[in-house]
Amino acid sequence: MTAFVEYLLTGVSRGLVFALLAMGFVFIYRVTRVVNFAQGAFAVFGGFITYSLLRAGMPQGISELLAVIAVALIGLVFGIITIVGEIPLLASLVITIGLSILSEAIGMLIWGTTPITYSGLAGHDFVIFGAFIQRQYLIIGIASLAVFVGLVYVFGRTYFGKAMSACASNPYAATLSGINVKRMGFIAFMLGGALGGLAGVLITPLSPITYNADVSLAITGFAAAIVGGLASPGLAVVGGLVFGIVEQFVAGYWSPSNETAVALALLVVLLLWQSRWVRLGGLE
Amino acid sequence: MIRRMHRNIPSFASVAVGLITLALPLFLSSSNIEIYVNIGLYTIVVAGLSLLMGFAGQVSLGQAAFYGIGAYTAAILAVHGWSPLVALIAAPIATAILAFLIGIPLLRLKGHALAFGTLAIQLIFLAVIPETGALTGGSIGLSGIPPLRIGSLEISSGRDYAYLVWIVVVISLIIAGNITRSRPGRGLRAMAASVSGASATGVEVERYKLKDFTLSGAYAGIAGGIYVFFIGYLSPDAFPVILSIEFVIMVVVGGIGTVSGAFVGAALITVISQVLSTLGTGPSLPPQLPTVLSLGVYALILIVILRLVPSGIIGALSKLFNKVQSASPVAPPVIGNSVETVSTTDNNDKKEFTLADEI
Repeated sequence: MTAFVEYLLTGVSRGLVFALLAMGFVFIYRVTRVVNFAQGAFAVFGGFITYSLLRAGMPQGISELLAVIAVALIGLVFGIITIVGEIPLLASLVITIGLSILSEAIGMLIWGTTPITYSGLAGHDFVIFGAFIQRQYLIIGIASLAVFVGLVYVFGRTYFGKAMSACASNPYAATLSGINVKRMGFIAFMLGGALGGLAGVLITPLSPITYNADVSLAITGFAAAIVGGLASPGLAVVGGLVFGIVEQFVAGYWSPSNETAVALALLVVLLLWQSRWVRLGGLE
Repeated sequence: MIRRMHRNIPSFASVAVGLITLALPLFLSSSNIEIYVNIGLYTIVVAGLSLLMGFAGQVSLGQAAFYGIGAYTAAILAVHGWSPLVALIAAPIATAILAFLIGIPLLRLKGHALAFGTLAIQLIFLAVIPETGALTGGSIGLSGIPPLRIGSLEISSGRDYAYLVWIVVVISLIIAGNITRSRPGRGLRAMAASVSGASATGVEVERYKLKDFTLSGAYAGIAGGIYVFFIGYLSPDAFPVILSIEFVIMVVVGGIGTVSGAFVGAALITVISQVLSTLGTGPSLPPQLPTVLSLGVYALILIVILRLVPSGIIGALSKLFNKVQSASPVAPPVIGNSVETVSTTDNNDKKEFTLADEI
């Protein structure tokens, strides 16, 4: 029971981080149709920038917030590079791969090759059902819940959110009703940057990151996003949780070295299942 | 226009390049021979990948895994007492069979889904190898790979390998060139332009794609097999994700779907990364500088080429050549088949949907 609770809570908190990454994929894809491979790089930047700000003596909380804002701006720059002009969609995927490698180079140049980490908010860890639970899990829970509620409000209630959804479902009609689809694309990239940055800020205290952690973060976020066909933020959250929990259970009850292979195999199965769905006309 | 180009100018150019590269190993130092061999091996892999990208319009981010599977096949057989020549021949066959089996389900994916699916295959390969210690040497690797022998001829020096690679490159490029000009090749090209269009005109899209994927596996497999005999030692570190991305960069640089581009891309990128590592290595310089430089340059190449010259270097040159020859525009294959644009045609809605479906 103790082990079960521990795996479950670890899985849920890591899953929430994956969900943030996955939602970044979803928002960018919905508005621009670009699958942003550099989504994992956003998380790496989030962790790195927070680390540097904390070391420079900035207070906790402010550092994290500034890091998220900085990564949102990086997202904007990436968006400009990727979607200005007319680029074939698959070429834009390859451009974001280029941006991801560029981020690795920058990360390695500034932060070096050794894994970095920092402690989350100060305070005691606590015990549930005999399981030792890190305080960071609680912070991840609160932060991601706040983000989910905020996004539900923005997309459900505000004019801006509806305009963004309009771009996603019918860009042509959105243009006709006076929405600047390109600008919405840039905003989507900023939002993706902020979500990815937050994911990195939250996960770095749990597992140290290196400059080249972006590929595995990107593929896990993508895997979570594909649960909802890259189109549904809600299902992306479900996907994140599924992947987080599955990874922890495989690592805990079977072997930690099988964790990655099982998660990836699950991704391939999901992709195939989805392609069948698309063929049957279920998704489009 | 394209056909005439292929028949006249490049055939002369490629014969010239062939002769120069044939003479080159005689003048190269042993460290340069290693670069020469690497360029050759990458050319083979890239020729296969280029067919897949240019003609099937798909991106594979798992080509280094196939390269690795070829290497492991050859190494494991050779270490277990099989004749090295048989082991080398088995490498492309085993890799092709595996690519075929993986391709049957995986090629139902398109565009970004296939890119991530193949990346997943690569990461699974990297995660599984360390767990299969007894057979593959796990994360430590395999050593004691016997030298390559063809009959009584032992291939041991760098120069021997240079010539072996040269022969395999020439054969691979001739096969790839023939495919692009054959009926299946024309079918594949039609597919790159429009999958549903090609399918409607009777091109067996699924079968061609699977053949293409299998062939790209075989190409990566033979290159991996030669690689392992050349290096004499094998570990999973030799097949990182960035290598798969490098292969994609080589295709993009040379020009997607051009056979001669495979060589140009492989040679340029290999030489550039070699130059950067020489420049970035020095007593007072940080040890990670060569990697930073090459990653940075790869990124810039990908971004700049795809933004400015999407047809790659060969494509840009032949476009230029055609402009001189006549006014007829030529559009070499470009990855993907659709431009994300909000046009003002009245069937725009419908078009957007086919795009999302096709890529």
